[in-house]
Amino acid sequence: MKTMLLQSRFKIQSLLILLALSLSFISCKVQLVAPYDDGMVQQIETTAKEIDRFYLIMLEVTAEEENGRAYAIFQEQYINFEVELNSLLTKNKVKPVNEHSARICEITLQLWRKYKAEHKEQDYLSDGEIKLNRKTFDDLFFAMLSAEKGKQIANNPPE
Amino acid sequence: MTNLQTNDPIFDINEVLAQMLGTVKDTVTDNWEEVKSVANEFLNRRKERLELLAELTLTGDLPIEKLKSRLEDEKLVFEAELHAIAIISKAIAQKAANAALDVLYNAIKKIFEIKL
Repeated sequence: MKTMLLQSRFKIQSLLILLALSLSFISCKVQLVAPYDDGMVQQIETTAKEIDRFYLIMLEVTAEEENGRAYAIFQEQYINFEVELNSLLTKNKVKPVNEHSARICEITLQLWRKYKAEHKEQDYLSDGEIKLNRKTFDDLFFAMLSAEKGKQIANNPPE
Repeated sequence: MTNLQTNDPIFDINEVLAQMLGTVKDTVTDNWEEVKSVANEFLNRRKERLELLAELTLTGDLPIEKLKSRLEDEKLVFEAELHAIAIISKAIAQKAANAALDVLYNAIKKIFEIKL
């Protein structure tokens, strides 16, 4: 009886060793989100700040009347920011398990292009539209930053 | 290698599972505030955007057809916010799962230390 018990325990031990070896070989760590990226956070913060400045200057410095807000005046800045947003999207897309962040960037880029096209078509923007655009991008960048900073939770070692 | 004793506690799976569950619970509880505060901030920001939209529509600065277009954009902003919440929730789940796995590893490691 005692021998049987010992044999059974030996079997359990062997199984545990096998399990431990398997786990160590595959370094079994769950990964549901991409690692936190400080460089990405910096780029988001910089782009958010510059886009905020872009709309504030448009609102405060230029006038609705006399074509003060003609698209051509802002065309170069629109292109620069689109390049920046494209860069953020590409960086997010190449990371594994990062589809949520990539989608937030896609939405931001989609709305950026839409509002750019509206400005180009009308060749002016009202104060109200500038305020709305500024607020929308501020909130989208907030979502982007919250997502990126949220990834830090996963990286923190268990307490 | 030490000799095996029949009364040695080899691997109490119930205790390990209870510890794993406790770890998951603690991790989720500790980080839940993060989800709540971000979700509340999203709600406040949504409220401000909708107030601005209403104000501009009432003053005539935003024609009805543009309002419709902006309300469509709201769906996209909402989707972006949900993706952000999904990331935070997944990050918490990842931390909890890895903490629970660490409990399991440590329990197995302990057996090696005792028995081998």
